[in-house]
Amino acid sequence: MNPIFEEIKDAIVDGDEDLAVELAEKVVAEKIDPVQAVQFGFIKGIEEVGKSWTNGEAFLPDVMMAADAMKAGMDVLEEVLAAGEGEGAYEDKGKIVLGTVEGDIHDIGKNIVGALLTSAGFKVYDIGIDQKAEDFVAKADEVGAKIIAASSLLTTTMKSQKVLVEYLDAQNLRDKYKVIIGGGPTSAKWGEEIGADGWAETADEAVELCKQLLN
Amino acid sequence: MLPKFDILTEEQIDKIHKNSLKILQEIGVEFSYDPVIEILKSHGQRVEGHRVYFDPDFVENMVEKAPAKFTLHARNPEHNLVCGGEDIIYMPGYGAPFVYDADGGKRDATMADYDNFVKLAGASKNMHMTGGTVVEPTDVADEIRHLKMAYSHITNSDKCFMGSSSGYEFAKDSIEMTALLHGGLDVIKEKPALICLINSVTPLKYDDRMLGGLMAYAEAGQPMVIASLVMAGSTGPATMAGALSLQNAEVLAGITLTQCINPGTPVVYGSTSAVTDMSTGSLSIGNPENALFTSASAQFARFYGVPCRGGGGLTDAKTVDAQAGYESMMLLFATSTTGVNFVLHTAGILQYYMAMSYEKFMVDDEIAGMVLRYLKGFDCDSDEKMAYDVIEKVGPGGHFLTQKHTRKNFKTEFFRPALSDRQSFDGWSKDSLDTNQRAKLKWQEVLANYTAPELDSAVKEKIEAFIEKRSKELLK
Ligand code: B12
Repeated sequence: MNPIFEEIKDAIVDGDEDLAVELAEKVVAEKIDPVQAVQFGFIKGIEEVGKSWTNGEAFLPDVMMAADAMKAGMDVLEEVLAAGEGEGAYEDKGKIVLGTVEGDIHDIGKNIVGALLTSAGFKVYDIGIDQKAEDFVAKADEVGAKIIAASSLLTTTMKSQKVLVEYLDAQNLRDKYKVIIGGGPTSAKWGEEIGADGWAETADEAVELCKQLLN
Repeated sequence: MLPKFDILTEEQIDKIHKNSLKILQEIGVEFSYDPVIEILKSHGQRVEGHRVYFDPDFVENMVEKAPAKFTLHARNPEHNLVCGGEDIIYMPGYGAPFVYDADGGKRDATMADYDNFVKLAGASKNMHMTGGTVVEPTDVADEIRHLKMAYSHITNSDKCFMGSSSGYEFAKDSIEMTALLHGGLDVIKEKPALICLINSVTPLKYDDRMLGGLMAYAEAGQPMVIASLVMAGSTGPATMAGALSLQNAEVLAGITLTQCINPGTPVVYGSTSAVTDMSTGSLSIGNPENALFTSASAQFARFYGVPCRGGGGLTDAKTVDAQAGYESMMLLFATSTTGVNFVLHTAGILQYYMAMSYEKFMVDDEIAGMVLRYLKGFDCDSDEKMAYDVIEKVGPGGHFLTQKHTRKNFKTEFFRPALSDRQSFDGWSKDSLDTNQRAKLKWQEVLANYTAPELDSAVKEKIEAFIEKRSKELLK
């Protein structure tokens, strides 16, 4: 096996974004098999971090920096992967558009959810804070996402989650996406009330939820 | 009152102060609200887009204009409060969207809960004011929540309270209602009667809503708390000194702005900085780091010559258990003994500001009573208190239980618990109630016996008419 895969794995485990990008560029430049680089490098690394997280040995900076490094490296490989280069094919576990709803600027919880989803193999498109229903849906349409995930931390902005579901209904797009919601003041009951496909209390549960929804 | 102790050396204060000024000068602070940008520009500060770079001398000069203490006026003058100096003001928790019940249940907070917490604060001798946003009344439309909340404080108690800071318009409404209560805007300009909470958006930002609120209060000459909540490890650096420098920079920027708008406006230096739980990312407040941030903030406020807001009966616990008790006592004790003046979140908070609990309120009320007693310290001012005569009278081998001196003094010298159990084992085991269960009985009893102080019917009508008019406009 090409020794660069081990280096990639270590870069991910160390959460070294610069190194992950550098190594990914090397993969492209030297025409190393990108699918193998993903499987034996990036995914190996993120799986290792994920395992330590589950065991309670890794903390948020470990996981979030690993997820960032993974994302940055994978972005470099995106083109060659899309072109179908390499043995077999690499496919992410599913695309998810994630954001904080309109009027709300809390983003720590959302960022953690994003990092854990990334480290579980999902491809996460984080559209940021204070985002309208249209913005979530436009991004989902653009990237072909299966799940739209909306975070809200204020009782006064929770209704924007409802607006999102209603917007999808109005656009006749409700069946195309799974909508999941979360954030401090939300609840399973609220999720049911607005007709979301799922709610999770923590980021770990959000990962489980997405796995279930895409099965 | 006991002297308040320092936790930072002069050298540490100097280093952090300079670090904060450097942050303000070289990194700058972002203000999203255009009117504020104009104000700071006109005061000669360097502005690029929405980012303002503060001149250190300018900051120091402006902060100096803020008063060291001020009086907050209640509709019943007996409840007027001095904020600053040696004084300490306790009030209920602020902003929680949930209520946790004694049996472990969780539910959305309602307007009925709101009224209840205001009444409990009104009834308590340890709560000096009834606070603000004591819970989020989720069953009231948010366009008019601020009106209903102010009405609850005005009608359910005659103590001081807080108003909305959610944007210029809502802030104005709260100020108008307070003016109606006190007899006019000019009256409260002379005698401030409403205070609000302005939060920075850490790191280094202030948003439109908060700045709108800040403008309204500064213009009306009403005091405000300018607070920063750094979650060390996520919204701020993981080092205590770094997080404190960041908080300090944000608060100084806010205070500077208030003094540009209206020099001499009373402001309170506020802190709710604490740490991030690095396994879940959640805020964690029931810890020694929070106690340190709180005490350091009190010291910085003294250094700048303004009153301080911070701390409270704070915990990460989800129910009224031992954790809730020991964390809250640590925080309220540190808060009070190191010189915080304005203690938002004194009573009721569970789970890092997410919930209020009636039982927790009663526990914190008890803690507050204990701490207030502690703060009074020893009274050595009279022969009566030195008690030589009665010691002589009883002499060796006697006892003091039947002395007039004892009967006269014990009630004021000893703290009398309202909630703690001091019975024998047999006495206790008749019902075997734990603190949580006793607290539940207690708040129910307090509420059942509470009568709100009379409010002049003409004033009440004016305020109700105002609410009706505004509700119509806002719910359109
Ligand atoms: C930090 C903080 C801020 C920071 C935010 C900084 C940032 N970059 O995010 C600042 C200072 C900017 C801020 C501002 C305000 N805040 Co604030 N804030 C908080 C605080 C203390 C912590 C939030 C947090 O990050 N928690 C940690 C994360 C990890 O938890 P989390 O977000 O809940 O996320 C977890 C889960 O919910 C879930 N999750 C989250 N999102 C999603 C999404 C999906 C799809 C899924 C499945 C799961 C999921 O997974 C996460 C990880 O386990 C909370 C109180 C609290 N203890 O939560 C108040 C709180 C949320 N804020 C509150 C308020 C009122 C405000 C302000 C209005 C001003 C004010 N008075 O403080 C402004 C509003 C600004 C705006 N327009 O949004 C109130 C809300 C009350 C209410 N009405 O609902 C709270 C509850 C505090 C209080 N008691 O007053 N705040």
